[in-house]
Amino acid sequence: MQEILSIRGLSKSYKNIRAIQNLDLQILEGQAYGILGPNGSGKTTTLSIVMGIIRQEGGHFSWFGEKPVAGQRRSIGSLIETPHFYPYLNLERNLRIICDIKGMPYGDIGRVLETAQLTERKRSRFSTLSLGMKQRLGIAAALLGDPRVLVLDEPTNGLDPEGIAEVREIVLQQVQQGKTLILASHILSEVEKICSHVAILKKGELLANGPVKELLAEDEIIEISCNNNDQLKSALKGSSLVKEIETENGVLILTLNEKVEPAEINSFAFDKKLVVHHMLSRKRSLESQFLELVKEES
Amino acid sequence: MRRLLHIEQIKLLNYNPFRITLGIYVLAFTLGLIIYPAIDKEIPVISLSDLFRFPDVWLFLTWVTEPYNILLALIVIMITTKEFNNHTFKTQLIFGLSRTDLLLQKLLLVVVLALFATLLLGLTSLTLGLIYSYKLTFKIALENTWILGRYLVSSIAYMSMGLLVALLVKNTALSLLTFLAMRVFVDPVLFLILRKQEIRWYLPMRTTTQLTPLPNLIEIFEKKMNSPDSIDQSTLDILPEGLPAWLNILMVLLYTSLAIFFSYRLMQRRRFT
Repeated sequence: MQEILSIRGLSKSYKNIRAIQNLDLQILEGQAYGILGPNGSGKTTTLSIVMGIIRQEGGHFSWFGEKPVAGQRRSIGSLIETPHFYPYLNLERNLRIICDIKGMPYGDIGRVLETAQLTERKRSRFSTLSLGMKQRLGIAAALLGDPRVLVLDEPTNGLDPEGIAEVREIVLQQVQQGKTLILASHILSEVEKICSHVAILKKGELLANGPVKELLAEDEIIEISCNNNDQLKSALKGSSLVKEIETENGVLILTLNEKVEPAEINSFAFDKKLVVHHMLSRKRSLESQFLELVKEES
Repeated sequence: MRRLLHIEQIKLLNYNPFRITLGIYVLAFTLGLIIYPAIDKEIPVISLSDLFRFPDVWLFLTWVTEPYNILLALIVIMITTKEFNNHTFKTQLIFGLSRTDLLLQKLLLVVVLALFATLLLGLTSLTLGLIYSYKLTFKIALENTWILGRYLVSSIAYMSMGLLVALLVKNTALSLLTFLAMRVFVDPVLFLILRKQEIRWYLPMRTTTQLTPLPNLIEIFEKKMNSPDSIDQSTLDILPEGLPAWLNILMVLLYTSLAIFFSYRLMQRRRFT
């Protein structure tokens, strides 16, 4: 697989605030790479640097295995923060400018406007669009020329639930077509739904990265209570069924090992002549895992 | 290059403030064609129409319209700072222009506007000359057209300085104020303060205005009166002061290069968020 983006030891600070420190990332062709982190974790700074808007202080990066030059960005479709276009020009003219920059004919404009459901507004000035429409035009511009790499920074920002679903659908389609995606987001479920890989940033530092499945694996958690909780607890400790056992308000909280079904716990208890009278599946949400991961380091 | 020009063309031709300012500029030129002859009737003895004859019309009109160049600089400032305000420098970078392209775009605009202004000046002078001249020979008509070259240089100089101010200040209103203050206040005041020193002729705006100096009016009117006992100019000490022409042009070219060089440096370093 070809290397799309490689970041080595990237650093940037704004006055006294370290935006990113010594960041390493490698993104390969066909990956849908999520950059996940709370606000102010350095996601936008990272993308702004690789897209040439700001200069890094330390470290370097390369696109497609080569030193970064402006021309490479013509084969990347990107949206960094809110989209900015000429407010007094209509949508079509704004996209013509992008086509001219990319050195491509205007033929693709109709298609991307259709994808973003903005065809009816193509003669409207950019300034007359609603926030959600502007965001969709940003996506449309990113899709111009069917680029092999998409760099999207919070693409669902400012959209209503319907808009969010639409944009996710568009992005997902691109991923399914084998495009490489770099997606910055603070919304865990977004990354989980779209991405194959994820890097978690906090205060400009890389906390963890890897395949979404491994990093954000969902643990099965159940609440259980029987006629003798202590006995069950010690019995389970000796088994290979659970990772963790905690007691909370008189019930046991079990974190199951992978591929262990709650029914197995029940039959395990039954074998030990324990009668389970309370059992509740409590899937630990990714949200709390993510928060935990981010919290651990502070 | 053509790509950059085309992008600039889409941006500008649909931008009302640009169309309006350029319209005012063209109007100012053409209004002159109507107004000068009207003023002429109210001034006895000397006739302004003497100034509109070949070959003097070239020099006179260039001098008269030189301040219009301020408008051109204001256009460049307006266009450039708007790109900051609209964050469109950022958009163009993201989609694949380089920082050098961004500067090149604006420099192309400067050159195109300068050529346009020079062409307009040329056409206006030619029209007035054809109307007012008695004697029309090719040689007389084309004498002094070299001043158009100077006009081109001076408008490029103004606009380059405007571009630098715009990149430095970024805010539209502040940039316009800064540039106007430099042109109509700082430079002239410094010129007065440095009355006794030679260095006053080296001020950037001053060298630029000196490119297209006031023609020797007395000589022009004298030519008409053609009287034998005309005033001997040399005794009047009104010979143009300042740097020798070649040095003056050199200084303007130097200032223009410096403005472009610093604009380039700023463009390379700016954060376009």
